[in-house]
Amino acid sequence: MATTSKARQREVFESMYSVIALLFILVACVEVLDAATVVDVYRLIQYDLAGVPFGSRLASLNHHAGSSLFSPGTDLSRTVLVLPVRELNITFIREFIGQRQPLGGLLLLLPRIFSSENRGSMGGADQNSGKELMRNILMELERLLIHANIPYPVYFAFEDDNIDSVLADVKKNDATGQPATATTGGYKLVVSAPEPKKLISPTMINIQGWLPGLKADGDSNQLPTIAIVASYDTFGAAPALSVGSDSNGSGVVALLEIARLFSILYSNPKTTGRYNLLFGLTSGGPYNYNGTHKWLQSFDQRLRESIDYAICLNSIGSWENELWIHVSKPPENAYIKQIFEGFSNVAEELGLKVGLKHKKINISNPRVAWEHEQFSRLRVTAATLSELSVAPELLESTGGLFESRHFVSEAAIIRSVKLVAESLARHIYSHHGKNIKIFADDSSLAINPSYITSWIDLLSRTPRVAPFLSKNDPFIMALKEELADFTVDVNLQHESLDGIFTFYDTTSARLNVYQVASVTFDLLLLLVLGSYLIILFSFLVITTRGLDDLISLFRRPPSRKAKTA
Amino acid sequence: MTVFHFFNCAILTFGPHAVYYSATPLSEYDTIGTSVKAALVYLLTALVKLVCLATFLNVSENDSFDPYQELLKALIGFIDVAGLYFALTQLTHRNISQNHKFQAVGLGWAFADSVLHRLAPLWVGARGLEFTWDYILQGLEANANLVLCISLAALGSLMWLRKNKPKTLIPIIYACAGIVATMPSITSYLRRGLGWHFPKVVGFELFTSLVMAFISWQLFAACQRPST
Repeated sequence: MATTSKARQREVFESMYSVIALLFILVACVEVLDAATVVDVYRLIQYDLAGVPFGSRLASLNHHAGSSLFSPGTDLSRTVLVLPVRELNITFIREFIGQRQPLGGLLLLLPRIFSSENRGSMGGADQNSGKELMRNILMELERLLIHANIPYPVYFAFEDDNIDSVLADVKKNDATGQPATATTGGYKLVVSAPEPKKLISPTMINIQGWLPGLKADGDSNQLPTIAIVASYDTFGAAPALSVGSDSNGSGVVALLEIARLFSILYSNPKTTGRYNLLFGLTSGGPYNYNGTHKWLQSFDQRLRESIDYAICLNSIGSWENELWIHVSKPPENAYIKQIFEGFSNVAEELGLKVGLKHKKINISNPRVAWEHEQFSRLRVTAATLSELSVAPELLESTGGLFESRHFVSEAAIIRSVKLVAESLARHIYSHHGKNIKIFADDSSLAINPSYITSWIDLLSRTPRVAPFLSKNDPFIMALKEELADFTVDVNLQHESLDGIFTFYDTTSARLNVYQVASVTFDLLLLLVLGSYLIILFSFLVITTRGLDDLISLFRRPPSRKAKTA
Repeated sequence: MTVFHFFNCAILTFGPHAVYYSATPLSEYDTIGTSVKAALVYLLTALVKLVCLATFLNVSENDSFDPYQELLKALIGFIDVAGLYFALTQLTHRNISQNHKFQAVGLGWAFADSVLHRLAPLWVGARGLEFTWDYILQGLEANANLVLCISLAALGSLMWLRKNKPKTLIPIIYACAGIVATMPSITSYLRRGLGWHFPKVVGFELFTSLVMAFISWQLFAACQRPST
């Protein structure tokens, strides 16, 4: 008896539990909410080239998210497309932008490995080939976006868990049928940014430092000068992401290391050479080396004539075994021959290859492809050392999106530094043709790999688009301090960027992702609530006053008339 | 369409109170005065409670469940019962029947509670762009609270106003009143101690409120019988 009653009790309890469980399941189904996500986004550059507008012309964004271009006939003018770059069809994008189709906005998701916070190891060969592919896609995309006039806002963001889940939801939504608009709900992407304003008189800052040589006794002539120059600023599709690890972060690092090595040599009068060394970190590189031009213009004639030759370092961070020396004087020229022989001798000893490329300057053409051409135009012998074999076009190879830290190897920079420093030293101390290693690996003059790594890491984190660098930007101050540690007479030269470029501000912003309910949902909710209240009303009237009262509520006054009658 | 959403949530939160007033005989006997008085008593009670909470309770940095603090909170929560007692027995009402009196007091009590606790978050939150279910759930909670308040008022009127009630029912009435009065502590325990999510808690509240309403209705009916 007791057991049966207990069993019955248990049954009752179990049924109760199932009811409660059902209720909870019903309630739990409702629980699909997540709070607003905030993502850092980087705007596509907006600039005018000789008055012709390029880049993204808008900054503020307030539209629903969509994930696919492939929906013919639908109006995308109120949709923000969210496209991961890894799945991007570049030809399709080109067509889309080329046809100037209306779009609410474009959010491009860059793979995590391009994020400057992400500095993982290089991974396997398989991953490397993937990266190489990615790099090519980004290069294409960047070229496309920089040279297009896009009438809607374009932003870049890095993939992360939040945005990935949003994207997955949006894709699911798109797959089920209609793309999200105001009536179907989904996600709303909001960037509240003011109208981009023109940057008034953007400045370029050149940094220079000297290592003075020692005159021989009784020599009254001015000492000759050797200039080592690298341009440090960048240009890319997203100014806030243009860190330019290779172009020209590698050159800057090499310059600093060379300055460090020679400062050790020049600190002792016995090893001070009979040459002045001039180190120049120039700005305006992407804009036909405008900063280099201004810098050279500021020199007086005597100084300019005292420059024996100048070595410009450009993109020397990712080469395997061949570097190029670019010159604009014919190779038969004695000075050029001397420089080239100096380099190729050292290269041979180091097991490297150095090639010579000659490209004539066309004075009437405003394009200056290499930094040394600015020197050559002023009749100063100069050469550019670079891993690029062909002169880049305007706004190319200037440190864009694809130049992440992963594509630069310290080993390549170290090799370049060794090559330049060694051949310079042989020239300075007249050891031509002698196999003397001044900067041998285990001597006190060895190249410091950790110094190179730390600087290339810093450069790979710092966007350096000149117009967006303020006058006393901490990065420029850091460069100045660093150069001042090794050289004397360090000074900054502020120049205004002249010419045909106009830039607009707002390079980065914060994107708010809201999950929004649709109007139909609200209408439906209103309907449900209305019926709930009506049912409640009817229920209460019936239980407290009876059914007749409820019916009489809806009956019209005729009943009263009938009463009076 | 966010004002629309706010409007919806407001209907869900405050609609049932109005419906209750207009659908039941409360509106016929014009008991709004009683409700308003009950609401004022609620405000006073809330003030006293606030002072007590501020005096006796530590501010906990983390959101964990501390049994001692919760016990204290539950005890302070009984100030509500005292306020309800005052509203039911001490306030001079126009001669309305006990039946209507407790309903009017419960209604006023629940409405004041909703306005005090839910109007401001609703105004601030539900008009935002981001959609969450929170405010709809909060509206449902307000519904459960209305039912609980009226149940508590009914039980209170049974305890304090009705003299000749069946002796056997008295412990049950007190037990039920105790349960209803400790409801806020129970839900707080569920939320913090067991880590239930808001929808689950609201579901629980709705469920228990209906159960308690049913029980108190039965008790009320049982007490009604011998007297009539």
